[in-house]
Amino acid sequence: MSTVKIPCVSSRAGTLVFPIIPVKQMLSRRERERYKRQMMLFGDEGQERLKKANIFIAGAGGLGSPVSIYLAVAGVGTLTVVDKDVVEQTNLNRQILHCDRDIGRKKVVSAEEKLHAINPDITVKVIDTTIDESNCAQLVGRADGIVDAMDNYPTRYLLNDIALEKKIPLFHGAIRGFYGQATTIIPGKTACLRCIFPSAPPKEVFPVIGVTPGFIGMIQVNEVLRYLLGTGELLANRLLIWDGMTAHAEEIAVVRNPACISCGTGHISKDTTAVKAKKITTGKKK
Amino acid sequence: MTVRIRFFARFRELLGTDIVVDAPKNKGLSDLVKDVAGKNQEGYDAIFDEKGAFREYVILMQNGKRVETSDAPAIRVAEGDEIAVFPPVAGG
Repeated sequence: MSTVKIPCVSSRAGTLVFPIIPVKQMLSRRERERYKRQMMLFGDEGQERLKKANIFIAGAGGLGSPVSIYLAVAGVGTLTVVDKDVVEQTNLNRQILHCDRDIGRKKVVSAEEKLHAINPDITVKVIDTTIDESNCAQLVGRADGIVDAMDNYPTRYLLNDIALEKKIPLFHGAIRGFYGQATTIIPGKTACLRCIFPSAPPKEVFPVIGVTPGFIGMIQVNEVLRYLLGTGELLANRLLIWDGMTAHAEEIAVVRNPACISCGTGHISKDTTAVKAKKITTGKKK
Repeated sequence: MTVRIRFFARFRELLGTDIVVDAPKNKGLSDLVKDVAGKNQEGYDAIFDEKGAFREYVILMQNGKRVETSDAPAIRVAEGDEIAVFPPVAGG
């Protein structure tokens, strides 16, 4: 912490004085240079907001890769990346955090290495575990937001419930083939994930081309950054649907379900939810 | 009367993009979707179960507003309606 002199006019004397106001000097010279072109958009204050933020990224796969890379280069100060899987060859058409030499390594090890190389000025925390009902709240901790980069709805519902409980936003994204969807959930203000999708689609080994999680991941990152910066209009109560086959994006208005079992009158106690969720695993990202 | 049905994601691959239907008055929403989906068995099976009910994960919207699929048989479509049918995608 250092101090700077900020000139101001004293209301009593009407003279120019220099009170000593403590201002935290958060950005190093190197950071100022690194972020110079984006600070043209939102200045010191915006960049410091990003630096102070802690974003929880659930998954280091197809969505988690572009999401974490772009949050890292933007200078989001702390990224917590959680994944249990090992890099497989079939991941490499889309999971751009990992490359051929990473096959057989833990995804979080590979992720930490790449993200640190991409931006050594941020803190990357990685956790090699499966997100489940017993650890989800603790893993999320005091994060400022959760990015849903999962590949299954049971874990998404769990993240949704934790986001509601902690009153932090959930940035949802999901993909299949050339299609994707994204929305931003602000607890208490917007429809939650269960309001929009009360039932999970059947599990499958889904087809996917790398550009689709790339596209949806960028929507999610764009949401996170603007949420942290407090600027623009979020995808709140709006479900964006991307059709990569026709290069067409459209949105559907969504509303809260008053009887929702996660955020509405249908909400059930934690104990009951726990029984319902049972042991939820992230599953394999094939 | 003219009603537009829009399928998304997997449903779109099986059934097409925008489908304009010339529907009789008082046509039920559920029956309308069944008629269109019935042109491709795989598409029909993706949306409806063996009893002819919407599968539980199907999202149905009428003019941008969510419709509970269990209410769909009793809902009538009207001239100019736009019906959207889509599955949530799950991958990540």
